[in-house]
Amino acid sequence: MRQAASSKNRFPLSPTTSFAGLLFVLVAIWYAASSQNNAASYLLLFALASVFLVSIPWTFSNLGGLQATVESVKPAFAGQEISLPVEVTNGSRATRYGIALALPDLGDAHERIDEIPAGKAARTVLRFPAAIRGEHEIGSLQLTSAYPLGFLRVLKQLPSPQRYVVYPKPAGEQRLPAETARSGQSSSRREFGEGDDFAGVRAYVRGESQRHIDWKAVARGQALMTKQFTAESDGLLYLDFAAVRPDDLEARLSQLALWVIEAERARRPYGLRLPVVEIPPSLGEPHLHRCLRALALFK
Amino acid sequence: MKTLRKQDTRIPRRPLLWLAAALLFTLPPMFGTLPSWVPLLFLIALAAKFWMEPKGYRLRSLIWKLVLVALILSLLFFSYGSVRGMEPGVSLIVLLTSVKILEAHTAREFHIMIMVAWILCLCGFFLSQNLAIALCLLIAFTLLLAALIQFHRGLSSAFWPPVRTVGKLLAQAAPLIILLFLFFPRVNTGLRFQIAPQRGASAGFSDRLSPGSVSFLANSSEAAFRVEFPDGKIPPLSAMYWRGVVMWHGEGLEWEAPAGPAALPLTSQGPPRGEAIRQWITIEPHDARWMFALDWPVNSPSGATLAPGNYLWSNQPIRKPRRYEVISYPETPNNRLHSREREPLLQVPASISPRARALAQSWKGETAEPREVVKKALEFFHTQGFQYSFSPGEYGKNDLDEFLFHRRLGFCEHYAASFATLMRLAGIPARVVTGYLGGEYNEIGHFFLVRQADAHAWCEVWFPDSGWERVDPTAVVAPDRVNLGLNFFLERRAATGQLDKQLARWPIFGRARLGWQTLSYAWDTRVLSFDGDEQASFFASVGIAGHGPIFFIVGSLAFATALLALYAGWTHLRTRPCGNRVKIVYETFCRKAARLGAPRNPSEGPLDFSLRATRLLPNESERIRRIANTYIALRYAPAPDPIMLEQFAKEVNAFVRAS
Repeated sequence: MRQAASSKNRFPLSPTTSFAGLLFVLVAIWYAASSQNNAASYLLLFALASVFLVSIPWTFSNLGGLQATVESVKPAFAGQEISLPVEVTNGSRATRYGIALALPDLGDAHERIDEIPAGKAARTVLRFPAAIRGEHEIGSLQLTSAYPLGFLRVLKQLPSPQRYVVYPKPAGEQRLPAETARSGQSSSRREFGEGDDFAGVRAYVRGESQRHIDWKAVARGQALMTKQFTAESDGLLYLDFAAVRPDDLEARLSQLALWVIEAERARRPYGLRLPVVEIPPSLGEPHLHRCLRALALFK
Repeated sequence: MKTLRKQDTRIPRRPLLWLAAALLFTLPPMFGTLPSWVPLLFLIALAAKFWMEPKGYRLRSLIWKLVLVALILSLLFFSYGSVRGMEPGVSLIVLLTSVKILEAHTAREFHIMIMVAWILCLCGFFLSQNLAIALCLLIAFTLLLAALIQFHRGLSSAFWPPVRTVGKLLAQAAPLIILLFLFFPRVNTGLRFQIAPQRGASAGFSDRLSPGSVSFLANSSEAAFRVEFPDGKIPPLSAMYWRGVVMWHGEGLEWEAPAGPAALPLTSQGPPRGEAIRQWITIEPHDARWMFALDWPVNSPSGATLAPGNYLWSNQPIRKPRRYEVISYPETPNNRLHSREREPLLQVPASISPRARALAQSWKGETAEPREVVKKALEFFHTQGFQYSFSPGEYGKNDLDEFLFHRRLGFCEHYAASFATLMRLAGIPARVVTGYLGGEYNEIGHFFLVRQADAHAWCEVWFPDSGWERVDPTAVVAPDRVNLGLNFFLERRAATGQLDKQLARWPIFGRARLGWQTLSYAWDTRVLSFDGDEQASFFASVGIAGHGPIFFIVGSLAFATALLALYAGWTHLRTRPCGNRVKIVYETFCRKAARLGAPRNPSEGPLDFSLRATRLLPNESERIRRIANTYIALRYAPAPDPIMLEQFAKEVNAFVRAS
């Protein structure tokens, strides 16, 4: 955040590498023209210099009226890629060209938008590797443009309050605990699939009963999903932080993340027990993400 | 991951097309001035690039590159004998560019290619500066800008938008270009790098008159120089003898001018007679030092001297179009001829045959009056079946007899040379003058165009009473050549002409041709001849002479910065987001309302404020309500409608005026 603030005070125009080339060409033409007293070459020199000078305001104003908003970021596992959907709105009355988006605080992720007409918006997705587990700040979005000639670059830093979550990388050698831990209070068994408590949705499999299809979601234009319900059952799978063997914190969290995924895949209702947090057993996508998020934020 | 990212820095196809087109337009100056294999290789490289690009081929191996460069260097050495000098240098740049084309692949190399293309434009101007070349290079320049713009636009647009953008850029740059051209100091850096003489034998004039040297030019339609008569005093075409070089040393049919004439002493000039004719002459570069003026120039323009024989001699070889003013008088009588001067003017080579000597003696024997002798000699040419032809066949330099007594077929140089020799044999001082005769009037630009084809040679003989007088034996043999100009003469003789001459008979093409000549003249006189001296006189004429170059550099930079700042401010205002403008206009409205006694509380929304304001200002209630509604509609629209915004601004403007 501090970096974004300091760069805001910086002069927004900076020369690009081809500016050095331009300077070289200008000096070469000047040298040749003056030593030969060649008026046509002088004209070439002045044309090139003038076009460059005139292009400065073009470049300077090329980011005027542009606003960038980061849309909601989907979490990813460490080692995967984070996709950052960005919408750039052009509030000015001129079409903007050749805009490059970058995340200065997050490595060299960059993306280009070729054209945004006046009053319109353009979307793009910035991708960068999710390195470390946890919740992170995006910091600032950086818009640059070297349009029209590419000798100068204008820069605009837009601080973005958006945050993103990186789940621990699912890894580990321990097998998913086969035994289901018995819950002290409840002796009843949770039967997955049929029951009264709504537990979430999953993709519809052909041949299943159509009774539990989430028709409201279908009406919203989504794919066929089956609502899942759980019934009280005896076997409860608690994935316990204490039950993971290695002492290394990250390795433990990785193991737990793997178990969570495996349990979800096996459709065995599971709960998560961490030193501070306990998530009661359940099943389904929201539950999965709740657990993974708890693992990601674990300190 | 890294390699994937590298891929998108490949040059997209469309900017590459623009670049290729630009490179094609840098080629025309190279054809005809460089050995033709140089631009051809360049074209082949360009074509190969288009074949290689979709297939993903390119020149990768360092060894191959080195081999190619070595090959190029040896080819150049083979064809020039050296790689120093202008043309080998330009050839080298062109050929290295061809290799670079084959190799270029990334976005960075694309930018390097653009820079190289600009250097190629520069090379083009070094090879030739005429208007056609300049237009070609202007197109190349424009296409290069389009390539850059297209590169930054990515895949976003079609053909025209980048061209339109370039047009706008150039239109905005134009005033700056003109200012820089006028005011940027043309300092002579003293960094003069030596350039080998451009063309050994450029089509043009020579300081030797030998059989065939003038008729050689008769086929060339290239311009020699252009003349304006600023006072409107235009001599008749038959008197338009453009004096070039005076040849004192004769060897029969071959005459020669002194290599470096001294300045003419002022005392040997008689007072001019007749009407002064002022001329502005713009001469095409010819790498030699002769300059032209109407018979007889009396003053020498700066940078030139008036040589003995009253002709202009430049102090420096003329390597670029040069404009000068000169005043001529039809006569400058000078009847003093020292005997020591007279002696060399009667010298003839010993190889002259007795028959020619006898011919001259026969005229001298009949009369002692020099004018009578001249008359007899002209009569000889007139009556003895001499014919005028611009392809008279080969004559050796001692074939005076062959010409005078057998073939009797010749061009102006044969007549001038033989006549002068005969005069000397008859004891009359004589010399040969070469230059041009006539010219083509351009009614659009009001100037005369004198072409190489108008080259002419004539004679001057010395009479004791009046001094040197022009005698043109060609006028006796072919009067039309003198009265109507060479073209008319040739056209009457042979109906088949060159294509452009035939086209010129159509009025529209004739006009186009004249228009082109006018433009070309303007390019030469207004642009190409504007150098340090011209700039100094321009500064003097606007009253800012006498400042150092630093003054102008700082001044022009400051001026350019001021212009740019103004322009940047304007651009900023113009493309400022609409949303802000809505707010600004509304704030104006609030200020106005406050002045009328209805200030808006910071916490008050626009709707509440308008309700309160209508109560406070009942006269304006209708307008206030309208302003509030429009404001809300504009403020909360995703993109404010510009028409509605204008309406809104108008409404707010009217608000104060009405009350």
